[in-house]
Order: sequence, then structure tokens, then C-alpha cells
Amino acid sequence: MAFEGCPGSRMFDFRREEGAEEASLPKVQSQLRQWPVQLHLISPNAPYYQGADVILAADCVAYALGNFHQDYLKGKVLAIACPKLDDGQDVYLEKIRAWFDEAKINTLTVMIMQVPCCMGLLNLAQQALQQAGRKVPLKYAVVGVQGEIIEEEWATV
Amino acid sequence: MEEYLGKSIKEVMTRFPAVEQVLDDFGIGCGPCSVGDCLLKDIVAIHHLSPQDEWLLMARIAGIIFPDQEIEIPEAPVRLKPDKKELRYSPPVRKLVEEHKLIKRCLALIPQILENADLETEPGRELVRLCVDFIRNYADRYHHAKEEDILFKYFPPGLDILQVMHKEHDSGRAHVRAVLEGVEKGDRSAVVENLLAYRDLLTEHIKKEDEILYPWMDRSFTTSQVGELFSRFGEVDGSFGDTGEKYREFIESLEEKFCRGRVSRLS
Repeated sequence: MAFEGCPGSRMFDFRREEGAEEASLPKVQSQLRQWPVQLHLISPNAPYYQGADVILAADCVAYALGNFHQDYLKGKVLAIACPKLDDGQDVYLEKIRAWFDEAKINTLTVMIMQVPCCMGLLNLAQQALQQAGRKVPLKYAVVGVQGEIIEEEWATV
Repeated sequence: MEEYLGKSIKEVMTRFPAVEQVLDDFGIGCGPCSVGDCLLKDIVAIHHLSPQDEWLLMARIAGIIFPDQEIEIPEAPVRLKPDKKELRYSPPVRKLVEEHKLIKRCLALIPQILENADLETEPGRELVRLCVDFIRNYADRYHHAKEEDILFKYFPPGLDILQVMHKEHDSGRAHVRAVLEGVEKGDRSAVVENLLAYRDLLTEHIKKEDEILYPWMDRSFTTSQVGELFSRFGEVDGSFGDTGEKYREFIESLEEKFCRGRVSRLS
């Protein structure tokens, strides 16, 4: 098979005609309950992380997944990061560990895109959980580039 | 058909014995169930068959109940049993499944325990008492307490499948009481009969939980509930101290004694 370049940067075009049904969709209410959300900017000990169900989403996830707010973000708190482009991932590792040990979060759901480089975010979370003294259920969801959920499972550490 | 969907599986199978084989073809093992209180509709729902298999199952059952009615069954190749995909549990439920593994290792040792326990001697009686101690303190207090006091409380108490589970826990406790009475009276046949009955009961019970009940419960839990369960099970583990480790060592010592550690290495 010929080399086709980085799967994370490969081009897809799935434009489609907007149907009448889509044009009449109601406005979706934001379920975001905090700010900031970028993992470098957040404090893992912020009050809204205490005992919370946390979503750690790759940057692209909320753009691909049409119902991200209603189906995943509702009732949870958020942080976003890009495992491929962001610097300082050692800082990320420490912040995720602090969620487990210090903020005593209830669960962590890592949401990544289907492209291989995104797996780094799940690996980071698993590494942080291994290092943490307190164990917490860790879930992951893999989102396809057209917004479909490819896999959703509880991870083993 | 509606009428039969609301009947207990025992009643349906008693009136239409061929239904048991149909259920078995789809990996639904209600036949040997000692209680059979679950409603047919709940059994169909809880096994999470594909829509195609569920339709086919219902069509075949309808064909047995209403033999004169024309039932069309597709000729296209269909999957008769659910995929034997490895079951994936949430972390707290996985913890219970891990505890089942140690209980199953104890159940596997019961024939050797009975063979080697001379109830005329104190060491023989003590061997049975130690087995009962494992059943009471690990399988019942430590493990079943998590199920009855925490896990089952997330569901309506009147749910048929939960009542079956509670009844089986109670039946197990009754067998264990009878084993101890047999030991004290030197009644070997009572000890053998009840310990083997306990083994059969728990083997089926654990299979039902691992393959049907737990996966169904896992599908019902929200992410938040899974985190809560994990934390509450952790609290129970903490309050029991080294119970888990103590009984693991006990089972390993019996396996070493009776099977030269073979069971331990295989599990």
C-alpha cells in the first residue's frame, strides 16, 4: 500500500447538501459550566473539578461530534488538549494526576479522534492514572471524522 | 403473544417445553434456573440480542405457542447465538467478576475437600469449617454484601431478576447452615449433599451474573454512577482490611495441597 502521509492530516471531503430537516434544527444550548477549558490554562484544583465527572477531549472532538454538548458534556466538566501539537505534555501529565489525587474526581472520560496521533491523549491519561495513588474509572470514546462514535469503552490500567 | 410476554418463564416453559430449547439456541440458559420468576419479555430484553435475533427468537416462540398461525422465518443465514465477544465490564463490575474467580476456585476444590475431610477426626471437621469460613466471610459477607447492599440498590427492588439473585443467595446460606450442622452432628451425607448443592447453585448463579446480569446493569449505569460504585466498593474493601488477600492465600494453600497449585496457575 502506498504511503499516503500522516493519517491525522489526510484530507477528506464530506460536504453534503443541507436538507430541510437540518435547516430547521433547534438551537443547541451550551452545556459548558466553567472557564477556562484548555488544559494548560485550567487549575486541576478548581472547585468545579472536585469530585466531578471530567471529560478530557482532544481539540477536534467537539467540532466532529454534532451532539457533543448534549450527549457528553452535560453534567460534566471539561478540559481540552491536542496530544499532537501542544507543548509541555509533562505539565498535562501532572495536571491529570492531580485530578485523581487532589481534586478526587469521580470519573475521567477521554475523548479522542480516530486518527492514530490522538491515542497519545489516552496514553497520557492512563500514565497519569498509573502514577496516581487514588484510582478512578477511566473511560474512552473514539470519534470518527464524520462525527460517529467508533468505540466507547472503560479502559484498563 | 402479549399475554405470554407478561408470564414467568417457568410458566411458559411448563406449558410449552420446546421453548427451553429455543432459548438455549440463542444462548439464554433459563432451563436449569431454580426459580424461573423472570417474565418472558424481561428475559428477551435483558439478553441484548441483535434486533434480527430478537425477532427470530420471538417468531420461533410464537410458532410454538400458536402452532396453527403462519410464522415467516427468514431463510437468510442468521446468527443463532450472540457473538462470543469478550465481555467488557466497567471497573467496579470488573472488580466483582474478579471476586467471582476466587469463589469459583473454591467451588472447584469442593470435591477434593469432601474426599479428604474425615468427619470422624478434628482436622477433617476443621477442613470443612475452613471452607465454610471462606464461603461465609469472603463469598457472602465481603462479596454478596457489595451486591446486596450497594449494586442491587441501584435498581427497583421488585425486579424479577434481582429477586432471583436474592433467593439464590438465601438458598446458598441455607445450604451452608446445613453443612455446619452436618459437621457438628457428624452427618457426612448431609455435609456432602449440601456442599455439592451449594457448588452447583453458585456455579450457575455466578454464570448468570457474569454473562447476563452484570452486562445488563453496566448498560444501565451512567458514567457518574460507575464512578460512585467504584468509590463505594473501594470503601467496602478498605473496611474489610486484608480480607481479600487472606482468602486468596487460603485458596492457594488448598490448591497447593490438593492440586499441587495447578488450579492457581490456570486461573
